[in-house]
Amino acid sequence: MNTAVGFLPEINANKSKQRSSTYYSRMKQTKESLRARLGPARPAESLTRKEIALFRSSPKQSICVRLLQEGFHRSFSELVSLLRSDQDWRATAEPGSLRLRAPPLVEQRHKMETISQHLSLAEEAERTGIWSTVCEERLLLGRFFSDPEDLWLRFYFYHSCTDREKGRFSRAATEARACLTELYLDRGELEEARQQGELCRKQAEDGGWLDSDGRPLKLRACRDLWKIYRELAEAPLAAEDHKKALTLLHEGNSRAAESEDKHMKGEAAFQVGLAYQRAGDHSTAKKFFNTSMEIFHSLDGTDRAVKACIALAKSLKSEGYFEEAVACLERLVAMSRSSGLHHRLIDVHLCLGNIYFSRSQYVKAAEYYLQGYKVACTTEDVARLQRAQVLVASAHAHATNGKYSAKLTSTSPAALQALLAWKVKRGREDLSVDSEDYYSPAWF
Amino acid sequence: MEAESQASAIIPLALPKGAEKFCELCQREARLQCSKCRVTFYCAAEHQQADWVGIHERICQLLVPIRALTLCSLRQTSHTETQIKKLIEICRLVAQSKLSEGKHQEALPAAQLCLRCSIDVHGPNTVQLVPAYLLLAEANMGEKQAQNDFLSQAEWAVLKSPKCGLTIHHQLHRSLGRLHVAAGDLDTALHNFANDIYFATEEYGLDSTVTSRGYFLMADVFTKQGKIPTVHSLYSEVARIWHRHLTRLLETRKESIQNPPVDSFYAERVEVDEMLRTMLEFEQKDTRKDPARIAVVAHCLAMLSLVRDGMAYGILLLRSSKHRIKPVTSNDTRGFFFPQRLFLFCGL
Repeated sequence: MNTAVGFLPEINANKSKQRSSTYYSRMKQTKESLRARLGPARPAESLTRKEIALFRSSPKQSICVRLLQEGFHRSFSELVSLLRSDQDWRATAEPGSLRLRAPPLVEQRHKMETISQHLSLAEEAERTGIWSTVCEERLLLGRFFSDPEDLWLRFYFYHSCTDREKGRFSRAATEARACLTELYLDRGELEEARQQGELCRKQAEDGGWLDSDGRPLKLRACRDLWKIYRELAEAPLAAEDHKKALTLLHEGNSRAAESEDKHMKGEAAFQVGLAYQRAGDHSTAKKFFNTSMEIFHSLDGTDRAVKACIALAKSLKSEGYFEEAVACLERLVAMSRSSGLHHRLIDVHLCLGNIYFSRSQYVKAAEYYLQGYKVACTTEDVARLQRAQVLVASAHAHATNGKYSAKLTSTSPAALQALLAWKVKRGREDLSVDSEDYYSPAWF
Repeated sequence: MEAESQASAIIPLALPKGAEKFCELCQREARLQCSKCRVTFYCAAEHQQADWVGIHERICQLLVPIRALTLCSLRQTSHTETQIKKLIEICRLVAQSKLSEGKHQEALPAAQLCLRCSIDVHGPNTVQLVPAYLLLAEANMGEKQAQNDFLSQAEWAVLKSPKCGLTIHHQLHRSLGRLHVAAGDLDTALHNFANDIYFATEEYGLDSTVTSRGYFLMADVFTKQGKIPTVHSLYSEVARIWHRHLTRLLETRKESIQNPPVDSFYAERVEVDEMLRTMLEFEQKDTRKDPARIAVVAHCLAMLSLVRDGMAYGILLLRSSKHRIKPVTSNDTRGFFFPQRLFLFCGL
């Protein structure tokens, strides 16, 4: 109340000093000292409503609310329906399946965030009419889910990309189709895979698209289609429905030819040849085997070339061209020995043995079988080893059979004597091969 | 007239000490008594009239056993409680129907009584009071302070017990959103409407009419913000939901023409009508007219009038909507066949 400072003497000075010891002023002092200790008041760092809501609400709620706030209500609807379908599936699923072991989608924040992000971008593009971006975003989502328990999500997003009204012929949709083809093939749904594959091939041809890794989509589609046709042909082949099998394999062959993959072309030709061989049409089979061999030679794939050649030899044998077959196989012996392809070498030997066996030349057959057996001993291929053993034994049996069958049928005492003598000495004779070698393991 | 014969005067001084009577609506000293039930008091004739129209006409006799202090009523407290709960329910329904018809002033007495009875039964700050608070907030549309007060109370009750049910959450957020829109705070309003739609979807599903109302309110905010493509997208979603709903209603009505079913959205007809008209206006004002969208909305309006008002008006509107549908191209077969299907329903 000192309006005139310095005009009048301070008469209240002592009184104010007395006052400073009252309760009220002591309280005020402590308050001020506290404030001084805490420092100047911080500017209100109050959290906004949104930040508070992030803490209080579940991940699902915060993501959904964010989507709606930005106006992406269709993404919101899609996310909600995805979560609901996941929950419905879990309610009715059999226990123990892979997808059940993973936590439900509603508890996986990261996945929900990715879905919401891409879907909102897709919705934005859809509003402005840029269909290719819409498909791209959905494709990205399909590729993002690589865990085996998220297979349903991949199917969902790829289908949502390819089943759209607008934009289903875009690059992204074509790539999604290629991915769908592969997924259906892995699952074993061959007809679906074939449908998707053919559509993909057509679209890729029209558009000349490349996929996200830079490879041309058409070649990828053709490769997948060849695998599909080969698997589709297995059933008719097993059922001896050669016509149907051959149609399918021819389709596969043409796809393989389009795929520009020489390895695949060779393999395709080989399969067609095999089918013709099974059907009994050896001349056509031989043509295809020759094509296959040429391709593999050019590729320097000796292993497969040898396989094709063996098949060719079988065809020749079935047609009756034994000398050609033998000559072909002799060449192969040298080839496979030089390339170190032991299993093929065994096969060649056994094949040669087979040819002689079929001509009842059991001794020669046994020779070749034995050679094959020796090679098999050096490798660890148990199956081939066992096969060789059986064949060697069989050849020997037939050989000895041949020697004594005449004596068995005749009733003269000389023949009987000879048989008895053989019974005593049997097992210690040899048939022009080293006895120690073939006695020890061969008779097991 | 009738209003005067319903109320009789009382002399406050004549009442015993501790038994002061207060006005039903404003809680001031009461000078009038309802002559029918004699347990309700008013300060002036206007309040008596307002209360009569608002709620008292329906519940006059129901109040007697609750408010009259007799020996029996003191003993049977549980019985009284059930009666009060019934009263609360009646008040709530009356208030809601009046609000949907747009009569906000008339809904006030009902909402106030609902709140007071709820406090009596459940206690002052419980979550069961939230519906009453929301009704009061809506009835006070236009008075921001009162609205704010009631909504804050409701919000606090909900915050204290968050597991109160999805319906309450969504209703609260809807009211809050509308408050913020009126206040001009569009971002918070959007946040509230987003929460509203989320809870409504959780409770009722994606295709429910409740959710569609939420979409409509959000589209309103986006219009204010100027984001037109979003608005179009939201309106088309609302139109789709209502179209489905109305088509189904018409089909069921066609089947049970003898006993018309009580429509679940009877009380919301005015609201829905307004909503559809706003949407139609918006679509027509847009420079890039999408005839398919306009056709859907016009068709919804026609179906609504058919369901609501019977055939005559419905046919009138049908003809006008058919006129609008004409420019639709032949590719959009849906738009073309709408009026034909409706004529089938009418039996023409």
